[in-house]
Amino acid sequence: MTKVFVTGLGAISSIGTNLEEQRHALQNGISGIGKAQHFESNYKETLLFGEVKLSDDDLSRLTDSSTEKEYTRTTLLALYAFNQAIENANLSSDQISLQSTAFISGSTVGGMCYTDELYADANMKGEASNFVQSYEGSDHLLRIVKRHQIKGFTDTINTACSSSANAFYLGARLIQSGKADRVIVGGADSLAKYTVNGFNSLMILSDEACQPFDLNRKGLTLGEGAAYAVLEAEHVCSDKYKYAELTGFGNANDAFHPSTTSDDARGPVLAMERALKKSNLPATEIDYINAHGTGTQNNDFTETVALKKVFEKVPPFNSTKSYTGHTLAASGALEAVFSLLSMVNNELYPSLRCSTPNEEFNTPPIVTYQQAELKNVLSNSFGFGGNCTSLIFSKCF
Amino acid sequence: MFLKDAFAISPQKTFNSTFEEGDFVVHESKTFKVIDADYAEFIPPSLLRRMGKAVKMGIGAALPLMKRNAKTDGIIIGTANGGLENCINFLNQIVDYNEGMLTPTHFVQSTPNALAGQLALMYDNPGYNVTHVNGSLSFENALVDAELFFSEQENPSSLIVGAVEEISDYNYNIDLQAGRYKKEQLSNQDLLNSSTDGSVCGEGASMFIVASSPEDAYAEICAVEQLTYPSEHELSERIASLLAKNELNVEDVDALVLGKSGDGRYDGWYDHVTQLFPNAEFTYYKNFVGEYRTSSAFGLYLASELVRNKLVNHPELMGNISKQPKTVLLYNQFDGVRHGLILLKRLV
Repeated sequence: MTKVFVTGLGAISSIGTNLEEQRHALQNGISGIGKAQHFESNYKETLLFGEVKLSDDDLSRLTDSSTEKEYTRTTLLALYAFNQAIENANLSSDQISLQSTAFISGSTVGGMCYTDELYADANMKGEASNFVQSYEGSDHLLRIVKRHQIKGFTDTINTACSSSANAFYLGARLIQSGKADRVIVGGADSLAKYTVNGFNSLMILSDEACQPFDLNRKGLTLGEGAAYAVLEAEHVCSDKYKYAELTGFGNANDAFHPSTTSDDARGPVLAMERALKKSNLPATEIDYINAHGTGTQNNDFTETVALKKVFEKVPPFNSTKSYTGHTLAASGALEAVFSLLSMVNNELYPSLRCSTPNEEFNTPPIVTYQQAELKNVLSNSFGFGGNCTSLIFSKCF
Repeated sequence: MFLKDAFAISPQKTFNSTFEEGDFVVHESKTFKVIDADYAEFIPPSLLRRMGKAVKMGIGAALPLMKRNAKTDGIIIGTANGGLENCINFLNQIVDYNEGMLTPTHFVQSTPNALAGQLALMYDNPGYNVTHVNGSLSFENALVDAELFFSEQENPSSLIVGAVEEISDYNYNIDLQAGRYKKEQLSNQDLLNSSTDGSVCGEGASMFIVASSPEDAYAEICAVEQLTYPSEHELSERIASLLAKNELNVEDVDALVLGKSGDGRYDGWYDHVTQLFPNAEFTYYKNFVGEYRTSSAFGLYLASELVRNKLVNHPELMGNISKQPKTVLLYNQFDGVRHGLILLKRLV
């Protein structure tokens, strides 16, 4: 079976616009959650967000897109992180346009991030807006395909909060099956009234910065961002720097409820077990877990149950959502990037705001910066609709 | 990858197979809406009340397959937009009530993965579960995903793979403003003879049981390919390489199933493909169901009925199909941007 390596990373989130900035924040426990400066909503005053600290105009300028009037914030975030990832992997424009280069992105909000324009266009109130051709879930992908003249396989996935983890999963299999040599995988979501009001109606938003795995956690904090990784087949990257090998991936459905996970954690357990089986690693070889850890009562309970079922001794884990908020479809890819930063630098980042761990669980997340030899790391992503995906990355140097 | 069963909810009476017996529903309004099955027969009323149309149609098409086939190892759905009606209803509430306290039903039902999740739930299926939302290639992507899933499995396995798209006033308005629909009103009988700009909006859910082994299957899906922003030349080249990979000559393809939509701006693509196969018979399917982003799933439904020797003599079947075909190439494009190819071969 062809080995799949990660040769490039790109990420933008509320804790930084490049890998160095984001690593610095993670090392020093600096959260990106705060009052929104750019996102317009009635909830601006009452809720906190993990907002990217750049305006749409900044992002347009930085991606050389000022003349592209149809680009939404989702597209701009995606393009920004995509550009960073291909540069980081040293991909030439010729390589990007090869038929053997694929592009897979996850998004939930997609092109619907400008709620007011969509409202006007959907209800035919006045002239069509600039964004009338931009509302599809796959809009950000199609615009990047055009911009970078991608000729190979493309796909957009929406499995809610596990979307971009599934992009990694599909990308790895494209390479293993020989259908592609290189796949750029990841996801993007921007803050939108749509998701803020949606999660608010489910009463799972915290009015403070989220406290994953804390006994008194009150819910999640929404964030935004984009992250992409370049996956390459062994035979096209022999002389390149490799962050890691993508050795395991598992996907399962919890088949329990449209918007909550089961008490027995069937889906999360199966996703992790399937990923371990794929990687041929015993559970004892996993050195670190980047938990889904949203900070809702339901998720953190179920995930802890799952961790205890899969791992006799639960390895060190944290929730980097305590830094970025929940970036929805981008979270799987963003947390894969953070997991890889942990692994290549042999360091563990503190989970923030877990001041009262749940004693009953007896499995608190790590809350201090630590150095540790990490050989295999696992990242979890669970979403609405029961969609659960786990990824395992292994050190290759 | 092998095709074992197919079911569609469509603007024709596919739900009870009268379509296959020659029935044809004429549509003359600005949208071609599905002829619904009686969903209350198999969906509990408490669930049904909350379900959006896309989820209802999708379940309506998937449940008959689930009942008459062994439990599958997972569910893969393609949908460009998912439950749009719910989505924009929720959006309208956000704006109309100025972000006040809203009820979550519309939000939960609007997510495109709601159908795959609901099917997993109703069917108690913890298997592989993915929803592809790649515009008009969503269904082709779902098929490729299925192929990759099978390539990983040690044991024979099967999946339910399908696509769904619903008409809502809102997406109709958006696509109308984006120039995708005709200004004049046309019946579906006249649609494909038109050459003005745009097509007519349709909808539907088409579901399939696909398997890794040919046991009990009637056709093989030999290849699924996609192109984005290609030139005509690139499309020709891709078709040639697809045939070569499957050790076929141009003459071996005996039928084309084409996504011609009556849109004068883009129908030239279908003429181009037809010219590549001078000896193949051909037919269309958007005269039955209209244009929507995952209509190629209905194209596969129609092709699968043709290879099973149904529909060949349907009075409204356009083109020149005269016999049960053996090797069928499906081709569909949307906006001239995304192009999908599916190669289907009869097994018996």
